Amino acid sequence: MINIFTLLRRQFLSYFRAPLGYALIIVFLIISGLSFCRLISQSATEPFQIGDILFGSAYFWLILLATIALITMPLFAEERHSGTIETLLTAPVTDLQVVLAKFTAAFAFIFVMLSPTLCYGVILYLFNADGGALAYKPIAAGYLIVFLISAFYTAFGLLMSSLTRSVVVSAILCCIGMSVTFLAENLQYALHNVWLERILAQISSVQHVVDFSRGIVDSQPVYFYLSGTVLFLYLAVKSIESRLWR
Amino acid sequence: MTKGFSSGTALHGISFEVQRGEMLGFLGPNGAGKSTTMRIMAGYLAATEGSVQIDGLSVLEHSLDVRKRIGYLPENVALYPEMRVNEYLYFRGRLKGMGGRRLRARLGEVKSLCGLHEVSGRIIAHLSRGYHQRIGLADALIHEPELLLLDEPTIGLDPNQLRAIRSLIKTLGQRYTVVLSTHFLSEAEMLCERVLILNHGRIVASDSPAVLTSLLKNKTVIVAEVAGAHSEVAAVLRGLPGVSGMFWNPCRNANDNHPEQEWNRYVLECNTDDDIRSGVFAAVAQRGWKMRELKLERKKLEDAFAEITGNVRTESK
Repeated sequence: MINIFTLLRRQFLSYFRAPLGYALIIVFLIISGLSFCRLISQSATEPFQIGDILFGSAYFWLILLATIALITMPLFAEERHSGTIETLLTAPVTDLQVVLAKFTAAFAFIFVMLSPTLCYGVILYLFNADGGALAYKPIAAGYLIVFLISAFYTAFGLLMSSLTRSVVVSAILCCIGMSVTFLAENLQYALHNVWLERILAQISSVQHVVDFSRGIVDSQPVYFYLSGTVLFLYLAVKSIESRLWR
Repeated sequence: MTKGFSSGTALHGISFEVQRGEMLGFLGPNGAGKSTTMRIMAGYLAATEGSVQIDGLSVLEHSLDVRKRIGYLPENVALYPEMRVNEYLYFRGRLKGMGGRRLRARLGEVKSLCGLHEVSGRIIAHLSRGYHQRIGLADALIHEPELLLLDEPTIGLDPNQLRAIRSLIKTLGQRYTVVLSTHFLSEAEMLCERVLILNHGRIVASDSPAVLTSLLKNKTVIVAEVAGAHSEVAAVLRGLPGVSGMFWNPCRNANDNHPEQEWNRYVLECNTDDDIRSGVFAAVAQRGWKMRELKLERKKLEDAFAEITGNVRTESK
């Protein structure tokens, strides 16, 4: 446990030792803030669900997924490229501890980046035109799906990073994977296959976001993202272990 | 152990032991398998066949226990450049299971042993390669390992850094069991009690530098600069007792590097430990030739290495 915390701390602080970490947070907050303002002003004329205002912006998701690709790409690829992986994996730590620490550090960065957006909920509460109680369920369910999707793609990005020594290749692989699953629903129209359409509809993150941000908490996506996260972390451990027999 | 990669076999069934307190040197040309052996010993790679046991524990089966017992300095010392020296060593100490007073005390010890006190607050990226090596060594030492694995610890250093790191390794050799791989034969000769010469993934020699040198066919070399008819001088020198081979080249003028008219430089290879310079001098003086240099060079580990790995000098009798 001490090992995981030691590794996690180093990895997490490394995001803030370079301007990239601060830049990502600032850009994310500016873009998500602007899209929040735009949706608020639109809601004056069109009926909007509260969850749509908070999580319905394409810009919000675009910058969130781009951030995940950028913060996960160096996790192992950079260590391989610089050679620090050799000293890291010959220290008395297990491969599982290394993978868990890196995943937690990246996820913690996402958490820190997302936490200021809670103030949007506070703003909606303070300026609720109806004067009635704010619907907390869509907000809570919306944040649940945001964190589940973030964990899923963080684990996926970490796996991609473990497969290569190039941070650029890692980011490209991560972006391709994220685009395919996030926009899976759109692919079904091109495939014309009933079974594939069903599978793609199940894994499409867009549909999950729409449902959760309206307060519909379905257990199927929860299991899907949690099991996917665990699977990617398991595969990342195996990918790191593969150095022994390759 | 044997280690195969998709590109070919790096190690072909090598086997060796290192005694506690010993300093063992790995020598070998590029691609001989030195770093692969080190990585297998450190637990970074696994042997395709065979195993490594350190202190009676299998590196693969008791990986964490073994890692606590070894300090590993890889070939390319890679550090986290954004961290400060103190912070990096503290991080590595924590990772190796240390903490509290013990870690703080040990930090002071390794910094003083590796000469890092003056840079302990500086960012690693701003330090020279020599300091990077020292930080790598301090990291390898911080948890007081029983075995130190140093893979090319002096590669890429300038002469001053080279001297400092060698002297540090010599000091470490008095306290730790050390396995050192190096390209520098003089380094192995200076530091190691025993050397293993690896070539194409096989151990081709294993003994002390002195014994390996004594096994050479030609043990000493006499260099003489003589002015005289070349064919006669060559015939006389080649016929002297104890001379097993000879090559020569014209002396060059120190100013313009042009060959000098009458002076030639003769290199006599001797198959004996005896000093035959007096015989060379007598032969030259007797015939009235002029001589301006006569020196004896004892062969070194470098020559043994070249002979064992098959890169013997081509110029010969």
